[in-house]
Amino acid sequence: MKVTVERAQLLKSLGHVHRVVERRNTIPILGNVLVRAEQGRLSLKATDLDLEVTETLPAEAAQPGATTVPAHMFYDIVRKLPDGSQIVLESDGERAVLAIRAGRSRFTLQTLPESDFPDLAAGEMGHAFALPAADVKRLIDRTQFAISTEETRYYLNGIYLHSADSAGTATLRAVATDGHRLAQVELPLPSGAAGMPGVIVPRKTVGEVQRLIEDSEISIGIELSTNKIRFTIGNVVLTSKLIDGTFPDYGRVIPQNNDKELVVDKHEFEAAVDRVSTISSERGRAVKLALSAGKLVLTVTNPDSGSATEELEVEYASDALDIGFNSRYLLDIAAQIEGEAAVLKLADPGSPTLIHDRDAKGALYVLMPMRV
Amino acid sequence: MPVRQLPETVVNRIAAGEVVERPASVVKELVENALDAGASRIDVFTDGGGRRRIGITDDGGGMTKADLALAVERHATSKLDDEDLLSIRTLGFRGEALPSIGSVARLSITTRHAGEPHAWALSVEGGAKSPLAPAALSHGTRVEVSDLFYATPARLKFLKTDRTEAEAIREVVRRLAMARPDVAFTLAGEERAPVTWTAALPGAAGRLTRLGDILGADFRKSAIEVGAERDGVMVEGLAGAPSLTRANALGQYLFVNGRPVRDKLIVGAVRAAYADYLPRDRHPVLALFVTLDPREVDANVHPAKTEVRFRDAGLVRALIVHALKDGLAREGKRSAAASVDGATLASLRPGFVPAPRAVDWDWRRSPAAPPISFTAAPSPAMAGFAERAQPRFDIGAPSADVRSVAPPPVDEQERPLGAARTQIHGTYIVSQTRDGLVIIDQHAAHERLVYEKLKASMEQNGVERQMLLIPEIVELDEATVERLLSRAAELDRFGLAIESFGPGAVAVREVPALLGKSNAGAMLRDLAEHMAEWDEALPLERRLLHVAATMACHGSVRAGRVLKPEEMNALLREMEATPNSGQCNHGRPTYVELTLADIEKLFGRR
Repeated sequence: MKVTVERAQLLKSLGHVHRVVERRNTIPILGNVLVRAEQGRLSLKATDLDLEVTETLPAEAAQPGATTVPAHMFYDIVRKLPDGSQIVLESDGERAVLAIRAGRSRFTLQTLPESDFPDLAAGEMGHAFALPAADVKRLIDRTQFAISTEETRYYLNGIYLHSADSAGTATLRAVATDGHRLAQVELPLPSGAAGMPGVIVPRKTVGEVQRLIEDSEISIGIELSTNKIRFTIGNVVLTSKLIDGTFPDYGRVIPQNNDKELVVDKHEFEAAVDRVSTISSERGRAVKLALSAGKLVLTVTNPDSGSATEELEVEYASDALDIGFNSRYLLDIAAQIEGEAAVLKLADPGSPTLIHDRDAKGALYVLMPMRV
Repeated sequence: MPVRQLPETVVNRIAAGEVVERPASVVKELVENALDAGASRIDVFTDGGGRRRIGITDDGGGMTKADLALAVERHATSKLDDEDLLSIRTLGFRGEALPSIGSVARLSITTRHAGEPHAWALSVEGGAKSPLAPAALSHGTRVEVSDLFYATPARLKFLKTDRTEAEAIREVVRRLAMARPDVAFTLAGEERAPVTWTAALPGAAGRLTRLGDILGADFRKSAIEVGAERDGVMVEGLAGAPSLTRANALGQYLFVNGRPVRDKLIVGAVRAAYADYLPRDRHPVLALFVTLDPREVDANVHPAKTEVRFRDAGLVRALIVHALKDGLAREGKRSAAASVDGATLASLRPGFVPAPRAVDWDWRRSPAAPPISFTAAPSPAMAGFAERAQPRFDIGAPSADVRSVAPPPVDEQERPLGAARTQIHGTYIVSQTRDGLVIIDQHAAHERLVYEKLKASMEQNGVERQMLLIPEIVELDEATVERLLSRAAELDRFGLAIESFGPGAVAVREVPALLGKSNAGAMLRDLAEHMAEWDEALPLERRLLHVAATMACHGSVRAGRVLKPEEMNALLREMEATPNSGQCNHGRPTYVELTLADIEKLFGRR
């Protein structure tokens, strides 16, 4: 193999793929990146056996071929080479090394045979559709915070992506929950997604996709089967295994008959919760919401340090009510509200509260109160 | 006071002080005599810590009437025929034991030689011999010693408690019994339950049985057979796996030509051989038997004969280290902890007791009641200071992992460490073998693998050395300088270059780069002290390996890292292929094995 590539492009691509590679591995080849030179292009591939990222970039391939080299070291070398240099990669199959030349620098890296590199991408996908990058980003951004990290509920360790019927229209819906809060975001179902299976996309995959979307103008191709999902983002292809499990029937958790409606200014509310929660020394202390006609009083009491109170003018017309929430969770959800005002639909201090944007539809959040 | 010749009784008592130090020495001398007489069965009985009574009965050759009369005289022995002190093949040879004992206690001997028509008895009290008298005994010899040290009250005062003395006797008999698995021993007495070690096969074959009897079942299970031979010196024996350790070196037994000896040599050699497996303050359990031409060793260093001098101590030491290292590398994967002992098994039984059913038990509050969504029962206990719990939705209880797992391929299960089934707490791999399960500490195991690789590359590529701009002059006393310089070549191999700098000083020119900016002077002194004691340059090697171990620790898969099945299996296969993978480099086991039999025991099926 012999190929010449521009340093900046190689660095950017390696930056994408090397993140997938674990620093310490019990299987040596998983620490490597697969480098393949083909007509006019170079492709790089890295995997951790659950996730595989392949990126293709233009290059002058004098001689096609493929090999694998330690990913982090390769990345560090390219990073330290001078900007604007042309990098020549040349592999010597006999000696199992890859020579990296740029200007007057020359490195040789030990290689492992390309044929040993695991291939995750194989297999039929079945369903394929495309979404604007901004939509994919929204699906992820608005739900990611609620993903559970609890290993015993492994089926909650991802975003549940499925098609659903929402008031008569078919939607593509993303749901995540950790048992304390739930986030649900939906979009009109794109063509090609009809009949897709409900899948749970793992947390790490979600994070990688989020990072790979640099340009929100493009369209992202999504293909999936019952056990794999593939995102095509520009010249990067990310294939991931899915979580093999059944997502619980989350619909039961979303309250339908909460009759007390509270409307708050998103920014005022967020700032006030943030201020009063300063008094709580650790995360997750309860903030008490005391509601009466047109008025909301936020209180945090910390037996070790003191207390804080703030009053807000709100739209509220129902009976007085005291309810407590984890301040961290309230802030997390407030941060998801895109518009100016948020609506909280409450029932009683012991039942889940429904939160959504007053103006924009398509996203809703459910939060379980704390007892105060 | 004019100079005068001391009376013989006094001379004997003084001499006795060297041979007969405490009751245990009496037992040692008498049992050795029995062994020299070719006994196949020796019964030892003691009373009052050996002070009141010691009785030794054997079925050896016995003595003729004439021999018996002579035996209690000083320097009379049957064991040194040609006055050749250089080739001693018996345990005793000085001819001091019986007269010494006779001079400080009441001694009576009954013996029957095959050539005599009947047995003869003789007694000695405080050095005074009684006339020989006919007695009844079918064969062998019976020696009785009572009121030990009655003739030397000063010595009597210095004896420890009966318990301590009895323990010392036990230790003496244990040592002798270890050396001779072919002889049956019984140890009985007022202060202990009788112990019997039945005769096993002679030599190496019976050794495991006898050592297991004496050192315990853990040792028998984990013992590794070791052996090496060079230039007519043979080292063989059994070494405990590195997971079986003690806080002191008392579990280390050395036998030279069948004679139990205490020698610093073995402590140093064992330390060197186990350096890779054990923390500094732990000591393995082992028994080593050195066989060599009697001319090559001098047992006549001390009347009690617990010390020996080798003509070529370096060779014996090297051979011990070699034999141990070899055995450990060969069997390193199999550790005592690899299978769980009874005490551990017992502790595996459930520790929780189900709460008794309350009087006002109500099924609606029991786990059998259907879950009611969204309403966490208010708990009055929570109302106080406690941080309120965050209620959760009903999204299903934590459940067993129902993700499909392909059954492990049968051939992986046949491997010693089996097929990885799952990882628990992100830290331990559980694997299934054909007849049990293995729990592997992923970090410890991977750390060992990385360490072995680093060590191999250090050996292959040598130690990188940093030359010093200004050689460091370390002032030491002359003997120390000599000692260090005599080992300069060995130190050089580890990257420490020193040379003579006049009397009483050495110049350090290069230091191992790995050690960074460590104080060369302190290191040399440490080295020199160690060399004086153990005759080896272990501290330097140990320091280098310590650095390698730290590097290995940082370069290996941590606890908490989720491993995929392929990765777990790769780790197991690598462990099987790496010597010493049974311990991490801190000496902890990397895995434990629970056999089906153990599991069945837990559930009372066996």
